[in-house]
Amino acid sequence: MKATGKNSIESILRACRLIMKMGQGTADMSPSRTMYYKMLIKYFSSLLQAKENGDFIAAHTVFFPAEVIYAMDLVPMHTETTTWMTALFTGECSDILAAGSSLGMASEICTPHRGLAGAFAIGALPRPDVMLWSNMVCDNTAKSGELVMELCDCPGFFIDRPFKDSQYEVNYLVGELQDLVKFLEDKSGRKMNWDKLSVIVARMDKQIELIRQINELRKSVPTPFRATGFLELLSVDYLFPGQPEAIEYLETLLAELSEMVKKGEGAVSRERFRVMSLFIPPMYLIAFLEKISQEYGAVSVIEPFFTFWGEGRLDPAHPLESVAKKSYMIPEMRMYRPMDDLALDAIVDCAQQYKVDGAIFYADVGCRHSCATIKLFKDSLNRIDIPMLTLDCDVVDPTITSEEEFREKLERFFELLEER
Amino acid sequence: MTISKPETNVELPTLEKFRNINRTFPHTEHILQQKRDGKKVFGWLCTYVPEEILHAAGILPVRITGYSNEVELDDGNAYLYINNCSFSRSCLQMGLRKEYEFLDGVVGGSTCDGARRLFDLWRHYIGTPFYHVLTVPRKYSEKAHALYLNEVIQFKEHLEEYMGFKVTDKALHQSIKLYNQSRDLLWQLYELRKSPSPPITGTETMEISNASYRMPKEIFNEWLKSLLDDLKHSSREHTGRARLMLVGSVLTNTDFIKAIEDQGGLVVTDELCTSTRYWGDRVKLDGNEPPVNAIARRYLNNYPCARMFPSDERFNRIVDAALKFNVDGVVSQTIRYCVPYAHDLPLLTRRLKEHNIPVLSLDVEYGTSGSGQIQTRVQAFLEMLEAKKK
Repeated sequence: MKATGKNSIESILRACRLIMKMGQGTADMSPSRTMYYKMLIKYFSSLLQAKENGDFIAAHTVFFPAEVIYAMDLVPMHTETTTWMTALFTGECSDILAAGSSLGMASEICTPHRGLAGAFAIGALPRPDVMLWSNMVCDNTAKSGELVMELCDCPGFFIDRPFKDSQYEVNYLVGELQDLVKFLEDKSGRKMNWDKLSVIVARMDKQIELIRQINELRKSVPTPFRATGFLELLSVDYLFPGQPEAIEYLETLLAELSEMVKKGEGAVSRERFRVMSLFIPPMYLIAFLEKISQEYGAVSVIEPFFTFWGEGRLDPAHPLESVAKKSYMIPEMRMYRPMDDLALDAIVDCAQQYKVDGAIFYADVGCRHSCATIKLFKDSLNRIDIPMLTLDCDVVDPTITSEEEFREKLERFFELLEER
Repeated sequence: MTISKPETNVELPTLEKFRNINRTFPHTEHILQQKRDGKKVFGWLCTYVPEEILHAAGILPVRITGYSNEVELDDGNAYLYINNCSFSRSCLQMGLRKEYEFLDGVVGGSTCDGARRLFDLWRHYIGTPFYHVLTVPRKYSEKAHALYLNEVIQFKEHLEEYMGFKVTDKALHQSIKLYNQSRDLLWQLYELRKSPSPPITGTETMEISNASYRMPKEIFNEWLKSLLDDLKHSSREHTGRARLMLVGSVLTNTDFIKAIEDQGGLVVTDELCTSTRYWGDRVKLDGNEPPVNAIARRYLNNYPCARMFPSDERFNRIVDAALKFNVDGVVSQTIRYCVPYAHDLPLLTRRLKEHNIPVLSLDVEYGTSGSGQIQTRVQAFLEMLEAKKK
């Protein structure tokens, strides 16, 4: 086996440090970006040193309420983000995908989850003390925990998040969270710090408010935020929910963007196309997407499933209820509810609010539930004369699509937008 | 091939009646008659939809399935994208092509990504008068049961509002009795398959299972009673090179089983949502509790789909059935992009190996009849099982 646990996390750390070093003093490395990379270094260093420090590692899937993990002073390991980061910073993850396949995992299981199992199988990630997962947001997340438990010989807890959002269902989720706290107290030997959880919830509420303010600035013409900047917002949200670093980062970013808007500066030198991004672009093409964004003056101004938070506020006086409520406000959760007219109208409204010229749907071959909405979105946006480009890809596997293919399709799409 | 005593392998007239239901579905004589009588027909999308509620409202419930053969899914691909399971795409295509235009309602559950998206697109592009989707928990806890009961009650109330009358407890009791009778009869059929030389093949049994969710239960039960009687008095005997259990994704094409049995594998039991996972468990009435409570408990506790947690509930039932039916091997068929079953496969394979039961894993498309490659792999599997027995 090629990789070891330390090497995989270390490769992410090495890449982050290198990016910071190379960017030092350049316009690209703004104070907020510097903070962002420092945060990543902190997160993965904690994970790397957890075993030596005698810390308790809680591996968890995407959208699992990490607030609870932080409130108990456990070390979180966001499994999908760790797989993405491996792809983003190392450029490939063929070894962990191959390891996943050799476990008997079918090729249509999405790469973040196939890679995740593979990474544990070959020791590319540290062995967690517990595996935590939920059905947020798809069958892959719902089914990913038990194999990891077996591979890592660790206990696990599954959160069953109801499909709809009636009060009855929200209460059910609160019950699930109460059971989670009992499970973690039992397995880690640590008690839940409820005061700390309240503080985290208060910060999370602020975090969401800051993202909403950032989004307001992104409505400006020209828009001030970089084409793929939303991925940083996403990572901060996934890795640092309700953490002081996240607040500091978002406040700094907000100040930077405010300043740009005041000066009438945009993220690209000449903004020509305002794009709505639907779903996640391939991690290994992020640098390319930034480059082509500058070339064509095309910039993502809103991502309904990643940065466009649902309505509502969190209440620190009721922390567990707030954590449950948050799961219904998360932008991606628009995908995990009935995709009815209400949901589709929200996307159309979003496109109008942000003065979108066109939409790009990143059709991840492993993501069934998102791809099944492509026609619904295309037809809905068509109603207001907004074209949508669908790009087949995989979020981490570079063998599915190439930079050349992406360039060709994007250039044609930009030409179409130009003609309109 | 499966070995039958030719002189005793007589054709059963009732079996042909079941075949005819499947051949003519969705435009069967019973569905057409129900519509002619001015009564309603509803489609349901997943085994977690409580059928007794529909039946008690005087509705004929039928399961929405796709084409039970290999067809191009151009419309299904265009609407649901190629990376959704071919079962969802096939069902949607039939709906888009107005094969289910007679439906007065569609009821689904939040059971898997394919099912919930099929429901979303059906609602948006096909336009059936009544829709309802139930939240279906993935756990068996008391809290999960309370949540699901609440969902079933809401569904019942929604249906009553649409129908314009109350579904009474008396009607529910009658429906439970009828459906339980179906389940008992089907288990009687399966008991016959435990014999070293069962009187019925896996292919034939699948015809009966398929018909069970496509026709009125009242008639189905009468036909099945008649068939059981015929079988008990017949001298039919089937043996094969190996006794097999079929597990995995949704399956309706009997030709797939026939392809296995033509090579000598005798399918004696299964774990499929078109078969045992559909009708497996009875509704158990507990004292004076309302019938809707018993229905909700049965549907959540029923023979589990791979979506449920913990998966051991499913694995234990499979192992138990494999031992009781004395199978030599398990054939797992997973429809491409059927993620819950794909995730379970490595763990299930390990569990079965612990009991010395080999597994043949086949990646298929819904509706496949068992192509050349599948036949080759089945052949090799049977050879391995025969060598193991020696």
